[in-house]
Amino acid sequence: MTETYLSIQGVQKSFGSTTVVRDFNLDVGRGEFISFLGPSGCGKTTMLRMVAGFEEPSAGKIFVGGKDVTNLKPNQRKVGMVFQAYALFPNLTVAQNIAFGLRVAGTPKAESAQRVQEMLKLISLPHLGDRYPYQLSGGQQQRVALARALAPKPRLLLLDEPLSALDAKVRVSLREEIRSIQKELGITTIFVTHDQEEALSISDRIVVMNNGRADQAGTPFEIYNRPATRFVANFVGTLNVLEARILDAEAGSVDVAGQTLALHRDLAPKRNGDTISLALRPEAVSLGRTGERTGALDATIADVHFLGSVIRVRTKVGDSTVSLDTFNDPTMPPPVSGAPAELAFAPRDLMVLAD
Amino acid sequence: MKSGKFWAWLTFGLGAAYFIIPLLATLEFAMRMRRGTYSFDAFAVVFGDPRFQQTFGYSVMAAIFTILLGVLIVVPTAYWIRLRMPHIRPIVEFVTLLPLVIPAIVIVFGYIRMYGSNSPLPFLASARGTDALLVIGYAILALPYMYRAVDTGLRTIDVRTLTEAAQILGAGWATIITRLILPNVLIAVLSGAFLTFAIVIGEFTMASLLNRPAFGPYLQNIGANRAYEPAALAVITFAVTWGCMSVIQMLARFAPKSANRPD
Repeated sequence: MTETYLSIQGVQKSFGSTTVVRDFNLDVGRGEFISFLGPSGCGKTTMLRMVAGFEEPSAGKIFVGGKDVTNLKPNQRKVGMVFQAYALFPNLTVAQNIAFGLRVAGTPKAESAQRVQEMLKLISLPHLGDRYPYQLSGGQQQRVALARALAPKPRLLLLDEPLSALDAKVRVSLREEIRSIQKELGITTIFVTHDQEEALSISDRIVVMNNGRADQAGTPFEIYNRPATRFVANFVGTLNVLEARILDAEAGSVDVAGQTLALHRDLAPKRNGDTISLALRPEAVSLGRTGERTGALDATIADVHFLGSVIRVRTKVGDSTVSLDTFNDPTMPPPVSGAPAELAFAPRDLMVLAD
Repeated sequence: MKSGKFWAWLTFGLGAAYFIIPLLATLEFAMRMRRGTYSFDAFAVVFGDPRFQQTFGYSVMAAIFTILLGVLIVVPTAYWIRLRMPHIRPIVEFVTLLPLVIPAIVIVFGYIRMYGSNSPLPFLASARGTDALLVIGYAILALPYMYRAVDTGLRTIDVRTLTEAAQILGAGWATIITRLILPNVLIAVLSGAFLTFAIVIGEFTMASLLNRPAFGPYLQNIGANRAYEPAALAVITFAVTWGCMSVIQMLARFAPKSANRPD
């Protein structure tokens, strides 16, 4: 991470007796793209609104560029924000919408007009300046909202689920466009979403939030492959969870449905006899041992779904279900329901979930 | 013609006749001032009467000030309630309905007792002060219509998000209200304004008891002393009211467009 540009320190927010954000700490580097990811009601939007200044923290401080902005009003923070519902001003044209912040700041007309043209070009809508918002599609409106937020050259860009109201195709293209514009301008950005794919695909780092807390902050690779908590593991990606009983905590030996597995790691502070949850990503499992996939469990194939290029297989290991995807090999017949199978995986891919 | 359509048209015709026949009868009576033939003599007498011009002009001015006062009070209030205090909306709605259930005569007697020349706020000690009190009274009478019109207009836009979008772009409250909220509820404000205009033009009780030279008392005075002129005045007042309604419809075409009202 480069030098810290946005620093959120010990922030808490309560509405009456309900605490929606608890002890939130985060340092964001200049030009970083951070996503707040979590289910509805986890506090991600409230945290974003505190950075914007729409909500006042019950405790803690927020610094931007080393300056304490905790008590500044939204119109004093020089922050750009894009809302889920576009929030374009219906009585103004696209060009007037983009120029709004510049006009409020008292920017000379010629300079403002030039900046509006730059922004229209940036969002690839140079010919739509005279249109009214109602004459644009949802994707175009959100691009105008982005241009409007960027026009006054804000210190931070906040994106509050900006893609949620768009259809799937537009969502994918617009998220790529947002990321490329963000990289081009090098603006520090916070993106709120409940869509894990969105967060994984465009973020430098992701903060996974649960029940008002930041459960884990890390790169998409870390979040996906090394989830710190059971919640993160379940929320991000598909996960196979196996309940296991510790046989030897020090040696990392466990019992899964009557089969012994060697994890090759110290399971302390857990003790022999304790129950733990083990997790495996579907892509970390294959049918039959190959290369590094030396760990193995005997299973029974429960059902098989032929999806064209991929075959999705669900297997049973005791009472637990383990799903995996295999590529369709035209020279090999697909697995058959009820047949025995050997599930292979690399022991290091087996995650021990914290509660 | 299907029987359903026949009954629909019959009902419409009866309803229209109920409104139009008295109006035509009034017009017909007003045109019988000259014996043996129809003429517009009664209208000429009314328009030529300096008291008509004076009182009508006075009431138009009172209406304009009432509208301005109403907009100044109602737009920020309705906006703030939608934005920050939605929980008190039922209370405010109840308060704005009070002028419909409290007779104007009660309000004006209250004013006379409260704002006489011995009061700390002696509105009634001067003609200008009384004019101001009359405008305030009119604003109260028009409150149910103005508040509902503006509140309905605000319902069509996402007040909170638009406000936040403007705030984050650096706008203060004055900019937000004058450049975003007001233009987006302009049609609603105009509806309220013309309803206010129609109320003020014909209002009698307050103007009469505060002894102001308004159009309402003039109407009453003419009605009590002349035969044909009151009928002509009734038609003129009706035309003014309908004219106001037409202006609302016309202005609506020039209002800012939105997703809710694209054409």
